[in-house]
Amino acid sequence: MRTAAKPILLAEDNPRDAELALAAMEEQHIADKVVLCHDGAEVLDYLYCRGQFKSRLKGNPAVVFLDLKMPKINGLEVLRTIKTDARLRPIPVVMLTSSREERDLAESYSLGANAYVVKPVEFHLFLSAVKELGTFWGLINEPPPEGACCGS
Amino acid sequence: METATNDPPQTSLAPVQASGTPAGTRPIIPEPFWRVPITWFRALTIERRVLASFSLVFVGILVISVVSYRNTRILIVNSRLDSRSHELVQLLANIDVAMNEAEDSHRRYLVTGETSYLETYQKLVEQKPTFIKYLDDLTKGSRDQQQRVIQLDQTMDLQLRAEAAAITELNERGHEAVMQLAIEGAAKQERGTTHRIIAELELYERQALRKRVMESAAGTTNTIVLLAVGALLQLVLLASVYYLIRHDIMERRRVAAELQRRGELLEAANKELEAFSYSVSHDLRAPLRHIDGYASLLRRAVGGSLDEKPARYLQTISESAKRMGQLIDDLLVFSRMGRQEMLNTTVNLDKLIKSIIYDLRLDLQGRKISWTIDILPEVPGDPVMLRQVFMNLIANAVKFTNTRPIAKIEIGVDRRTAREIVIFVRDNGVGFDMQYAAKLFGVFQRLHRADEFEGTGIGLANVRRIVHRHGGRTWAEGIPDKGATFYVAFPTRRSR
Repeated sequence: MRTAAKPILLAEDNPRDAELALAAMEEQHIADKVVLCHDGAEVLDYLYCRGQFKSRLKGNPAVVFLDLKMPKINGLEVLRTIKTDARLRPIPVVMLTSSREERDLAESYSLGANAYVVKPVEFHLFLSAVKELGTFWGLINEPPPEGACCGS
Repeated sequence: METATNDPPQTSLAPVQASGTPAGTRPIIPEPFWRVPITWFRALTIERRVLASFSLVFVGILVISVVSYRNTRILIVNSRLDSRSHELVQLLANIDVAMNEAEDSHRRYLVTGETSYLETYQKLVEQKPTFIKYLDDLTKGSRDQQQRVIQLDQTMDLQLRAEAAAITELNERGHEAVMQLAIEGAAKQERGTTHRIIAELELYERQALRKRVMESAAGTTNTIVLLAVGALLQLVLLASVYYLIRHDIMERRRVAAELQRRGELLEAANKELEAFSYSVSHDLRAPLRHIDGYASLLRRAVGGSLDEKPARYLQTISESAKRMGQLIDDLLVFSRMGRQEMLNTTVNLDKLIKSIIYDLRLDLQGRKISWTIDILPEVPGDPVMLRQVFMNLIANAVKFTNTRPIAKIEIGVDRRTAREIVIFVRDNGVGFDMQYAAKLFGVFQRLHRADEFEGTGIGLANVRRIVHRHGGRTWAEGIPDKGATFYVAFPTRRSR
């Protein structure tokens, strides 16, 4: 399957959250597709194939899971950059955050987020949420056709 | 602020002068009478002070105007009288001269028999009624003078009649008969009387004239003094009114600035609070997720090899984290209820209650509840917030009746007055001791142990906060083990 090769980009600054999310994805056997970024700047580096991702394989990820609160460049700014760049706009972006604040929801959707998921406190709920997200966006959903994404 | 200073002045107004001491518990030195208006004035609000001052200015202007008008009128009347007096004096002199001339020429006629001498006499006879009429006009208003005019009229008549008699005598009996008369004068005596009366008239008029002149001068002086003093007083009064108004404006400006400063502080505090609750919602949840997450992972990692005790410990860790999460969520809702903008519409409570019970249907499975729901009115308010209020009250009623074989929940209108409408929610649940009634609506206040009834103790705090924001009141009545009734009162008109 062509889509199976596409990576899942997980932007999560908190290593524990990242570990828990990865543990969940492991159960779905999609953990090996996950690329972990620790802040917004890394996400953009990945998408634009620069910095540490200079020599990565070309192609957009199948989906970006984006935390709102991240160091350097926060989730909303990353989202804005993605959705205002014609080459990146087709990438599905799922906000994965602790915040249930109305303004975060409103702003995310108005910037063009494809989904907004509040991380549940209870682990089994978190687990099933991440599993379902991973399954849906990584396996079930057909990603947009390949565009000329990387600047290289 | 205004109303506080509005009331007191009445107390210091009247009784002080009358009794010497205002009614009070401690003996105070009686106020000197001249201080009474000052005390009274100080107790007034700025509006009343300005009004009082302007009233004084107005009264002053009125007094000055009235007095000046009166004085000026007197002056005008006097000057008219003066010119009349001058005219009178002139006329009197003319009459006197005319009479003299008439007598003179009459005598010449008696001596000479030359009729041309009679012309002057004849002229006087013709003019006399005119003279008298004129005199009568000029002395109108003075009874003494009019009396004299009548006297003059009579004596002039006598003189003229005596002279006429002499002429007749001459014509009938010749020169010899009237020689004596011609030498002495036909009406010598009468002539003397008229002359005297004329002199009297003149004297009297001159005296009146002099009196009026003095009166006018005094009046003018009065007017000038009054105008000067009055103008000075008005100036002082107006200056003090200006000072009062200016002082008040400065004070108001200061208060406005202070209010604005506080408003800004409040806004800053609000922003800070918002940022705080945002960070609570985001950052405080993460470690809780980790606690539960890693506890679960640990449980999976050790699998079935875990003893009962360690398994329970892990379970407790997870449950505590969940509860903490619930508390945080509730607290955030509570804080949002205090800040959130309120919609200003009317809410149909009938529909609201029905939809709440419909939403609760899953929680009600396996329960026997007898609902008694009155026809409920519409109340002004925010639909989402009021939904929260009744959701909490009904959920509470359902929760605290779960020990009853048949729960009874009653919702209705307790009373409706012109000012407010009181809705109640009554249940036959476990109730509460009235001595804790005050604690019911506090944040995180619970009257039952956590293992009896679940909950974080935020529901009623939310109820109170929302109802207060609607301008209403909340209270509750309860009997342990018999049931509880919760009341919410909404103002019929929005007081914002």
